[in-house]
Amino acid sequence: MRRALLVLALLFGASAAYAQTPTFPQQTGRVTDDAGILDSATRAALVEKLAGLEARNTDQLFVVTVKSLQGYAIEDYANRMFRQWGIGQRDKNNGVLLLVAPSDRKVRIEVGYGLEGTLTDAITKLIIENAIIPRFKANDFPGGITRGVDNLVGLLLGENSAQNIAAQKSAGESKAIPVMAVFLTIWFLIAGWIFYMMHRRGLGGGGSNYSSGNHSSSSWSSSSSSSSSSSSSSSSGGGGSSGGGGSSGSW
Amino acid sequence: MAFSATFARFIRIPILAAMLGLLLSGCGVNNIPSHEESAKAKWSDVQNQYQRRADLIPNLIETVKGFAAQERTVLEAVTAARANATSIKISPEIINDPEAFKKFQEAQAQLSGALGRLIAVSERYPELKSNQNFLTLQSQLEGTENRIAVARRDYIEAVRVYNTELRTFPGVIWASTLYKSNKPMETFTTATDLSRPPQVRF
Repeated sequence: MRRALLVLALLFGASAAYAQTPTFPQQTGRVTDDAGILDSATRAALVEKLAGLEARNTDQLFVVTVKSLQGYAIEDYANRMFRQWGIGQRDKNNGVLLLVAPSDRKVRIEVGYGLEGTLTDAITKLIIENAIIPRFKANDFPGGITRGVDNLVGLLLGENSAQNIAAQKSAGESKAIPVMAVFLTIWFLIAGWIFYMMHRRGLGGGGSNYSSGNHSSSSWSSSSSSSSSSSSSSSSGGGGSSGGGGSSGSW
Repeated sequence: MAFSATFARFIRIPILAAMLGLLLSGCGVNNIPSHEESAKAKWSDVQNQYQRRADLIPNLIETVKGFAAQERTVLEAVTAARANATSIKISPEIINDPEAFKKFQEAQAQLSGALGRLIAVSERYPELKSNQNFLTLQSQLEGTENRIAVARRDYIEAVRVYNTELRTFPGVIWASTLYKSNKPMETFTTATDLSRPPQVRF
């Protein structure tokens, strides 16, 4: 009897696993650098910014670089990855994925359902064309990603406006460093530190679980044994979903 | 004593009913209606995204006209394809009607093709290409094409689940008894690759 049940379970399991999907790299928190294009300092700074963002308004922004898109279109790949990892909180769908595929020379910002109003297709296109691609063309991956993340975070926190970003154009670095940037940096440092302390004290050695109810253990399984130097602020997705909002670009 | 016996009999009925309910739902008696609802919801999302694309087009055509009025054939092709696609009356029954579904799909594919040519043509006009309004519309169009692709993918998967339930055990039992009126649903035939968003280079 038990064996029969087992056979049945296997049969149903096999039929459930029918749909084919690309394989994704092992998730290592908010920044997953599978392609290995980020230095550790940039990585740490990004993790801090992203953690600060989520601490402030629960928006989840993940940065992922992949070795290959495995023949998939970047739009398709990004959407599947977004859904499998469940980026954003389940009830708000407020996730964003910045996906970079250096070998395919493609980049995409995939926006969750809940943020399509803030991060419209047009504004994500501008960020890709003006902030990210010029730097990627010069092989400055850390710079392009950092600038893109800064723009996204600024918009998500309401501290930067779409007009502002549109006005930046591709004129390169603006000469005068805006006061806002300094202010933001300080804020991020403080927020990141507070977040870090809260995290350490509140959750001890256990897994991170400030994301709301993602009970599937599928995504977050990398432990401190992984090479990520900042595993203390790693996070898994909160179960958000996306319907293909956002924009892509290539260089 | 007598009281407790009556009470036991009284309480037995709801318990039996609850157990029967559990048993039935374990057999998947609810699967067909719930998969059907899910597929219908996915279908309305597909329609919404196609509608969203249709809504973008008049504005796009006006903008292109401002810079490239001489591309009349391309512009007219898009206008005609849009008119054709939006003239198809979409009722919920379309997903059970192979003929109507095919017509809908063809009309939308035609519009995709016409739009692709329009975008390709506009590459030849530097002023148009650098026009802020055009850039915005273009990114919205790209985004919408991509949302259509996602909505189609979701719908195809939902229909696969629903149709499989109708044809496999134990769903096939319920399909031939309780849900005789449930028919398999139509799904998109073209590969998803064909509905890729038009790639635009700046």
